[in-house]
Amino acid sequence: MMTIDDDMLMAFADGELNEIGRARVERALAEDPSLRARLDAQRRLRARLAAHYTPVAEEAVPERFRALLETGVVDLSAARAPRARPLWQSAIALAATLVLGLALGRTLLVPGAPDSGPIAVEGGAMVARGSLAEALDSQLASAQASNAATRIGVSFARSDGRLCRTFDSAAAAGLACRTDTGWQVMMTAAGSGGQRGEFRQAGGESLLVQQAAQEMMAGEPLDDAAERRARDSGWRRGGASR
Amino acid sequence: MQAFERELLTLLPRLRRFAHALARDPVDADDLLQVALERALKARGQWTPGTRLDSWMMRIVRNCWIDEVRSRARRARTFLPEEEGASVGADTHHEIEARVEMHAVDKAMNALSAEQREVIALVLVEGLAYREAAELLDIPMGTLTSRLTRGRQALVQMLELEAA
Repeated sequence: MMTIDDDMLMAFADGELNEIGRARVERALAEDPSLRARLDAQRRLRARLAAHYTPVAEEAVPERFRALLETGVVDLSAARAPRARPLWQSAIALAATLVLGLALGRTLLVPGAPDSGPIAVEGGAMVARGSLAEALDSQLASAQASNAATRIGVSFARSDGRLCRTFDSAAAAGLACRTDTGWQVMMTAAGSGGQRGEFRQAGGESLLVQQAAQEMMAGEPLDDAAERRARDSGWRRGGASR
Repeated sequence: MQAFERELLTLLPRLRRFAHALARDPVDADDLLQVALERALKARGQWTPGTRLDSWMMRIVRNCWIDEVRSRARRARTFLPEEEGASVGADTHHEIEARVEMHAVDKAMNALSAEQREVIALVLVEGLAYREAAELLDIPMGTLTSRLTRGRQALVQMLELEAA
C-alpha cells in the first residue's frame, strides 16, 4: 500500500495538490480506512474552526473602526485605554471632532479674511492669530482673569523640548505648540461656547484636548513657576527650566 | 473617503476574524485591530494600489500582534521578580488563562506556538493558499507546511476530533 504522510494528506484536504498528487491520495484513500479517518478528522477540524470564527466575520463591525476609516481621526483615548472607555464617550469625542470641522470651516477660517479669526492656515499648518496668539504668549494659567476671552488650561513640554499649551475660548478649544515663528495649533475641538464651571468640566471637547495633551506631554505639566519662566524666556525650547 | 479606506472598510469583518484567531480573545482582538488600522492609515503610502490590500493588511495585523506580545512579555518581566519574570516573559499563556473560561477553540489555539497559530489562522481560518501565506510570513513553503501540519495535529487532538 502506498504511504501518504500527513503533509500530503493535508495538502490534499486544502486543495493544494496537483492532479498527480490528488490521484495518488484518492487511490490510497480508497484502499486505507485509517487514512480516510485521518482525512475526516481534518474535515471536522475545518468545520469546527469555521463554526467558531465565521460568526466573528458576520457580526456587525464596531462603529469605532468605521469611524476611524471615515474620518481618519484616531481616537486617542481609545488607543490609550480601550477598556476603560464607555462607548458613549467615544461618540462624544467623535462628535466633537466633527463639530470642529464645521466650526473651522464656518467661523475660524474665513476665506479671504486671514486676520479675522483666531486661527489661520499658513504653509499647510494651523497657526494662532490675534487674541489667541496673544493669550498663548502672555497669559499665565495661574493668573488669569475669570472673564478672560481665552483661557489657558495647561502648559507642558513635548519630548522634543518644544513648549505647548491648551486653550479654550468661545469659538474653539485646542492645543498649540510654540515654533520658531509662532504658535502652531496642533489640534482643535469645539470651544466651550463661553460656558464655565461644571458644564465645561463635563464637556467632551475639553476631554479630547486633555487627552491630546496627555499623549504629547513629556513628564509633568509645568508648575506656576516654570510656566512663568517659560513665558519670560519667550517660550523657547527648554525655557521652562531654571 | 478614498478608495483605500473604502476597500479597508470591506475587509474589516475578515480582519476582525483574523485578529480574533491570533489574539484568542474578543477584546484583545478588537484592540489589535484598532492598533493595526491606525498603523495602516499612517503607512498607507507604502501600499501599492492594484496589489492585494488584504494580504498587506493581514501582515500589519500580524506584526502588530507580535509587538503586543513582546510588550506584554516586557511588562510581565517588569512586574515580577527577576527569576519568575524570565519564564513568564517567554509567553503570555499564564496571563490569558487567568481570564474567564475560554471557548474550546480559543483554548486549543492558545496552546499552539505563536508560529503554528498564525499559519493556522491564515490557511484554515482565512483560506489563504499556501504560497500566499508563506509570502505574507516571509517563510519558505516547507516551513509553512510543517508548521501547518504540526498545528493541525495538535488541534485535532485537543479538540478530540479523531474518529471514535
